[in-house]
Amino acid sequence: MDIESLIENVLNALTAGVTIGCIYGLMCIGLGLIFGIMKVVNFAQGELLMLGMFASLYLVTGGGILAFLGPYIGPFVGALLAGPIVFVVGALIHKFLISRVSGLKTAGTIDDGHFGQLIVTLGISLILQNGGMIVFGSTPFTVQTPLSSSAIEVAVGYGDASVFLNKAKLIACAVAIAVAIALYMVMEFTRIGKALRAAADNPTAATYMGINVDKYYRMAFGMGCGITAIAGGLMATYLSFGPFVGFDYVIIMYSGVVLGGIGSIMGAFWGGLTVGFVQQVSALILPPQLQNAAIFIVFLLIVLLRPQGLFGRSAERA
Amino acid sequence: MSLNTTIGRRTALAGAAALAGTRIARAQTPAEVKLAMLVPLSGPWARSGLLEQMGARMAVDDINNAGGIKALGGAKVKLLEFDAGESAEKAKDAAQRMVAQEPDLSGGFGCWLSTFTLAATEVTERAELPWLTLSYSDLITNRGYKYVFQCSPTADAQAKELVPIIMDLAQSTGGKRPTKVAIVGDNSASSVSFYKAIHEIVVPEQKLTLVTDEVFTPPLSDATTIVQKLRSGKPDFVLMQSTNAGDDRMLVDKFYEFGLTAQKMAMIGGGGHWCQPELTKLTTKEHLEGVIVGLANWPGKAMQDVNKRFIERTKEPWFGHDSLFGYTHVMTYVAAIEHAKSADRRKVMESLHTMDITDGPARFFPDGRIKFDEKGRRVGAKLCVVQWRDGVPVPVFPDAVATHNAVWPKASAAPSPPPLAGGGRGGGVFNACPSPLSPRHPRACPGDQGFRLCRDRSPGQAP
Repeated sequence: MDIESLIENVLNALTAGVTIGCIYGLMCIGLGLIFGIMKVVNFAQGELLMLGMFASLYLVTGGGILAFLGPYIGPFVGALLAGPIVFVVGALIHKFLISRVSGLKTAGTIDDGHFGQLIVTLGISLILQNGGMIVFGSTPFTVQTPLSSSAIEVAVGYGDASVFLNKAKLIACAVAIAVAIALYMVMEFTRIGKALRAAADNPTAATYMGINVDKYYRMAFGMGCGITAIAGGLMATYLSFGPFVGFDYVIIMYSGVVLGGIGSIMGAFWGGLTVGFVQQVSALILPPQLQNAAIFIVFLLIVLLRPQGLFGRSAERA
Repeated sequence: MSLNTTIGRRTALAGAAALAGTRIARAQTPAEVKLAMLVPLSGPWARSGLLEQMGARMAVDDINNAGGIKALGGAKVKLLEFDAGESAEKAKDAAQRMVAQEPDLSGGFGCWLSTFTLAATEVTERAELPWLTLSYSDLITNRGYKYVFQCSPTADAQAKELVPIIMDLAQSTGGKRPTKVAIVGDNSASSVSFYKAIHEIVVPEQKLTLVTDEVFTPPLSDATTIVQKLRSGKPDFVLMQSTNAGDDRMLVDKFYEFGLTAQKMAMIGGGGHWCQPELTKLTTKEHLEGVIVGLANWPGKAMQDVNKRFIERTKEPWFGHDSLFGYTHVMTYVAAIEHAKSADRRKVMESLHTMDITDGPARFFPDGRIKFDEKGRRVGAKLCVVQWRDGVPVPVFPDAVATHNAVWPKASAAPSPPPLAGGGRGGGVFNACPSPLSPRHPRACPGDQGFRLCRDRSPGQAP
């Protein structure tokens, strides 16, 4: 392989890794938020990603209310609006199901409600998968945009080598970073953020301080669902999906969250970014069929060398 | 008067014998013949299963509306459908449930994906249940099983048949035989069988160089790195062995993004999913234009009536590979049961092993014959080739099904042009139709229709 091809291969893999990684990062933030604040292991997170994809699809295609925005802007606005829709779904799931096995109700029990959470979230996952099959069918869908198959070609200044930046992924990456920054600002600088962090740190003490912990847990669960749904909406612009798509990403989400440091919300973003980056760049030296194996090799290395995850210090506070 | 006194022992025995006789007669001429269909109805391969289901349901209705199975006194066919899911484990579990719940099945078919079929047939073979499959992997019929019958040409046979067709096509159009090939595909069982034949037999025999060999685990999350490596290899043609429409879409979209359309570099897909109507919804017809697909069967002229009725019935845009196999599997069972004059699964298996027909369901194959060899492979199973044209897959090979001539990309077949002024890596496919914007990033050239080739067709014959 000549130098030009090598440069091209490496740079294209790096850019693909960063763009995909940012979207994975957003996806992981949703799970990180739920786990970081509520300590709930949510096995239905993949299905909430799927709901985000379908919400975006129905908003922007056919007779969707965003169809007038066209195929260039519509899919990305649709992805953002999928967030609030799935936020409501998440809040309802929390109100009627998750709250029964989490929060103050289970504080102090032998397992802190984790066994119940495991079964309930697995059940929700199965219901959403099979319900999705009944409602949406098994035909693969996609949110079509011409941007998903067009690229900005950037010359790198060495011979004819160039990097192709996929336009849809580039916009999705920008949206993902913007949402992550917005969430960081909310968590750090607003009263809601402070209340959420207080509820995460010590729910009993937060109650004494006049914080309605159940309400903030519901908000955290809804936000976690909504943020993952936004990531789903962004992924729907370049990916084919169906009711079972969540299964393929739930492992990536958990890897990202553990890599970033369990409990750390922004760590989850960096963890997701690392997972996406490793997944894409590993294909340069390993057969692509080992892409996911490469993720777990890096995962095990990090767990071995830094058991608290990349941003473990942040785990002290959500 | 007690019952014991009125019915003597002889009478009772005679009654029992008569009852047993009736039962035997019932077993020989059941009111309905049960056939099982085990295909993916959920997960990434569900659409393929649904298309096969549509074809099978139509065949069942056709049989029953025509009076059922005549050899069994007009017994109706009942189709029992099972979901193979999205993994080999689920397919095997479903097969176990199927044989446990339905002990009176006469036969079954599925599971579309070779990986699933390999798992499920371990169960059906133990249950001595005849099993027809369209799956391609040669491993399916390499295990010495008696009850498994493979209707498609095996993946290795397809590799050996497809590549010479492609080479001849290229040479006939551009005068130059391709020398460089690339492989991209997943690691499911049929794809692995295909690669093995390509590596060990086809590449050396055809004097090809394998410049890129990229195998991924489905489903693809992104194809950038794979397509970039393939682009660096500068192949004359690429063999794409993905196994679901989602991955097909991701590949053709990424090729298009990198300026590698099928009008610039020959793109050869493998399998029925490459011709599913969904592809036109997942991507655009421009991205698919010119993609050549090698597959195990395609509706030919003998299927025009079925084709028309299928479209009317299902509102699908065409009757393709998966639906055709669903239809043909049911019809093949009916022919075997008529031949055996029994719905007993062992007799059906023997009938499938001994039948040699060139009419009935045999007309639904391009080679027009149903005869299985000792391994359970259909003798003379022939590859079909279709090509995407203006958003529709049209058959181009063999003559029995062809309605159009194959179009080969001008750039792939033409001798390499001299390096362009402006330097860069001249020659090869990528510079054949340079864009004024970038000599290394060719875009589709308006009016570039490639060459037409009349294969397997006498001069003057209408396309």
